[in-house]
Amino acid sequence: MAQREKLKCPGCGGEMNFHAEKVDYSKALADPQSMDAEFGGALEEFHTCPRCKLTVERPATD
Amino acid sequence: MDAMDSSAGLPEKPLFIPVILGTPRKGRSSEHVANFVAAQVAARPEAGTELIDVRALSLPASDEGEAIKDPAFSATMMRADALILVVPEYNHGYPGMLKHALDSNLKEYIHKAVGIVGVSAGPWGGTRVIENLLPVMRELGLVTIFWDGNFPHAQKTFDKDTGALLEPAHVRRLEKFVNELVWMAKVLRYGRENVAIE
Ligand SMILES: Cc1cc2nc3c(=O)[nH]c(=O)nc-3n(C[C@H](O)[C@H](O)[C@H](O)COP(=O)(O)O)c2cc1C
Ligand SMILES: [Zn+2]
Repeated sequence: MAQREKLKCPGCGGEMNFHAEKVDYSKALADPQSMDAEFGGALEEFHTCPRCKLTVERPATD
Repeated sequence: MDAMDSSAGLPEKPLFIPVILGTPRKGRSSEHVANFVAAQVAARPEAGTELIDVRALSLPASDEGEAIKDPAFSATMMRADALILVVPEYNHGYPGMLKHALDSNLKEYIHKAVGIVGVSAGPWGGTRVIENLLPVMRELGLVTIFWDGNFPHAQKTFDKDTGALLEPAHVRRLEKFVNELVWMAKVLRYGRENVAIE
């Protein structure tokens, strides 16, 4: 599979590692637009910065 | 491998393993357990800790989930490499306030290790509450370990005035639990930082 472009860390600008996809139920309630009906919640990606330990969440891109 | 110093067997940054005291009850024995557990973690060269008391979190009861985030609690969870939950058994389940607090975060927990320490008045050391918490841990994105802490007869296990441990066997048992949690925390930190999803 082609390597995806790495997300830039909002804390330090370094490259983040995309290590998880997961359903976020709370987000789908706060932001109904984010609901993925096939999963019953928002399907999200989780990226962690090796330098500052920050994890960011964003909608899955598949 | 850049996330570990393999010569010393230590991670280059110390692990941060906060301990969450999971009940606000007045007179709680779990407080003695949490203090003991936090002291054991603090004594490890590869880890630092902080005791988080659910009583001290400012989480409103008028809403649920990430809508009620306590910024300081969420920041501590973000910084954590692993968590230890000290959980009293209440009617074979976990205290509602602990669940209320845990549900206020999600991304802060993903692919982090968790160890659970059960506390009970009865003889089973909170085994039932631990089993009941496991599916919740999974859905929060936390990774459980195969050691637990078990503190049965909690009122008799610590001096009620000084909090001193009266049953020395807990020291060795907890050491095994922390060893496994530290291992899992190191592996998962490496994974979060270096192993990408395809
Ligand atoms: C609402 C409630 C329910 C309880 N249910 C149980 C139980 O199911 N099994 C048990 O062994 N102890 C039970 N206990 C006793 C606690 O486990 C005991 O107080 C122990 O010390 C841990 O809780 P604590 O930190 O609040 O003291 C219960 C206590 C409360 C307040
Ligand atoms: Zn960063």
